[in-house]
Amino acid sequence: MTRFLSLLVRAWVFAVFAAIFLPLCLIFVISFSGDAYLSFPPTSWSTRWYAEVLSNGGFMQGLRNSAIIAVIVAFLSLALGLPAAYALVRMEFPGRRTIQTLILMPLVLPSMMLGLGILMVFTPAGLVATFPGLVLAHLVMTLPFSVRILQTSLANLGTDVEQAAMTLGATPVQTFAQITLPRLVPGIVASSAIAAIMSFDEIVLSLFLVGPRLTTLPVAIYRYVEDRTDPMVAVLAVLLIVVSLAMVLLIERTVGFTKAFGK
Amino acid sequence: MTLHTDMTADPHIRIDALTFDYGGARPAVDRLSFDIRKGEFIGVLGPSGCGKSTTLRMFAGLLAPTAGSITIGGRDISHAPPWERNLGLVFQSYALFPHMTVAENVAFGLKLRKIGKEETRARVAEALRAVRLDAFAARRPAELSGGQQQRVAIARAIVIEPEILLLDEPLSNLDARLRDEMRFELRDIQTRTGITTLFVTHDQQEALTMCDRIVVMNGGMLEQIGTPAEIYDRPASPFVANFIGRANTLKARVAGGRVTVDGQPVPASEATGANGEALAVVRPHCVRLLADGPLKARVLRRVFVGSMIETELELEGGQRLIADIRPGDPDDALAHVGNIVALDWRGADLRVFGA
Repeated sequence: MTRFLSLLVRAWVFAVFAAIFLPLCLIFVISFSGDAYLSFPPTSWSTRWYAEVLSNGGFMQGLRNSAIIAVIVAFLSLALGLPAAYALVRMEFPGRRTIQTLILMPLVLPSMMLGLGILMVFTPAGLVATFPGLVLAHLVMTLPFSVRILQTSLANLGTDVEQAAMTLGATPVQTFAQITLPRLVPGIVASSAIAAIMSFDEIVLSLFLVGPRLTTLPVAIYRYVEDRTDPMVAVLAVLLIVVSLAMVLLIERTVGFTKAFGK
Repeated sequence: MTLHTDMTADPHIRIDALTFDYGGARPAVDRLSFDIRKGEFIGVLGPSGCGKSTTLRMFAGLLAPTAGSITIGGRDISHAPPWERNLGLVFQSYALFPHMTVAENVAFGLKLRKIGKEETRARVAEALRAVRLDAFAARRPAELSGGQQQRVAIARAIVIEPEILLLDEPLSNLDARLRDEMRFELRDIQTRTGITTLFVTHDQQEALTMCDRIVVMNGGMLEQIGTPAEIYDRPASPFVANFIGRANTLKARVAGGRVTVDGQPVPASEATGANGEALAVVRPHCVRLLADGPLKARVLRRVFVGSMIETELELEGGQRLIADIRPGDPDDALAHVGNIVALDWRGADLRVFGA
């Protein structure tokens, strides 16, 4: 009986993983198709669509823009999120609870609504289709995540160790630099990686804000798929997955994935 | 200002009317005052919520007192930040720096004091020797057992040669066997280093066996301060009598220098104080059973606990008490369940408190 159950459980886990990974596998296979249209299985094989993507000026420009924006967003998310998280966890001030609740609001709101709102504010400010505009818009999405992750990391650290440092003679600044910060590295890596991935994949807000002068990779892909479906789409999907996977591996290598995102 | 008659007793540390008010129904610490002599090992004992941890946090500078003061060597430190106090604090959780080795943990306070490399190395080695952890200097805290982590925390606190060492329930996370061992070790380290120590605990056994003097707290207030023997033998209140060791508390009356329980006169050598309702406290091991006498009681239950028999008795008026009887003593023969016996104790063993 237990044997049967364990078999069943294994089959179930396998099924779930298949549901997640099968489409990815399909995409991966199709990306090496030599056909002029999307089909499975492909009738011929080649890497011509990879060459096509890499020589496509629009995609490459979009990739460059998305990468730059992702790096800046990750950095600013941390720079703005860490002090906020610290204040929310370690300090007592009126309205702390309210802010803790409200800070997650952007996650609850439909991004369509956010995008529209941002557009209405950014248009008169001249921020549409600019780097600062896109960075600011992405920050609206990433900051709540960063603050949340950092808040959890900080809360898990507890205050005993910091107080011990202070009784040994460390000022608050010394305590933060020598005790809190080193212990916060997993949370910092995790929140920055999340912010970078979110920004790199962001499409809804970007759609409102891009223009002919400045576009991001997901928007470029979206526009392309609107009128054509050829294996180039699969290649682009593979590239996006590779970038995200690279981030995850980076976290795994530096701090350990479970340590960064678990408790 | 009153002149102290005993000028030799140098009050190294003075706590004066120390108060902390969270804004609740009553202050967490309420006008607490006592002195600590240099090199003394003082225990702060009380049930949870009695204000002992709040007191310790005010000492460490982690909480600012609402009123009152703490003076060390004549310097009022009540409102100095923790990093300017030069105190060593050992947390219940040990609070070691997990990203540093044992040696780095111990060296932390010295580095902040800008002590030179050579001296730091020497003092760290000495502190680790004192807690018998010299072989573990390069380990990380996570690689140590609970008892070893605790000793690192102590080494880290004593290496800075603090004015006072504060211990917050340092033994409560250890298993029973290790706790007994550490009790003596802790006291031994303190005796060798001579550091004035304030030890917060809820465990009366720890307080009795380790401390020079004990401060008993209840409801934020000082109940009694004294040596373990004074506290045990001459408790200042029914609370202290019941909290330190076991005690029987009986409703009694004081009239004309005599104490009566259940209307019967009982042995009492200190029947002073006001006439009227009173509480009489007697420890179970002081109660003896006689075949006959004025104060009668019925034996309700006998519980054999090894070295003695806990005998529960009921007075005619319904009050109950416990007598610890040694197996084989004459009392033992009388203590049959259902028997009516008479109770007796030495007058000096009864403490009487006005109700």
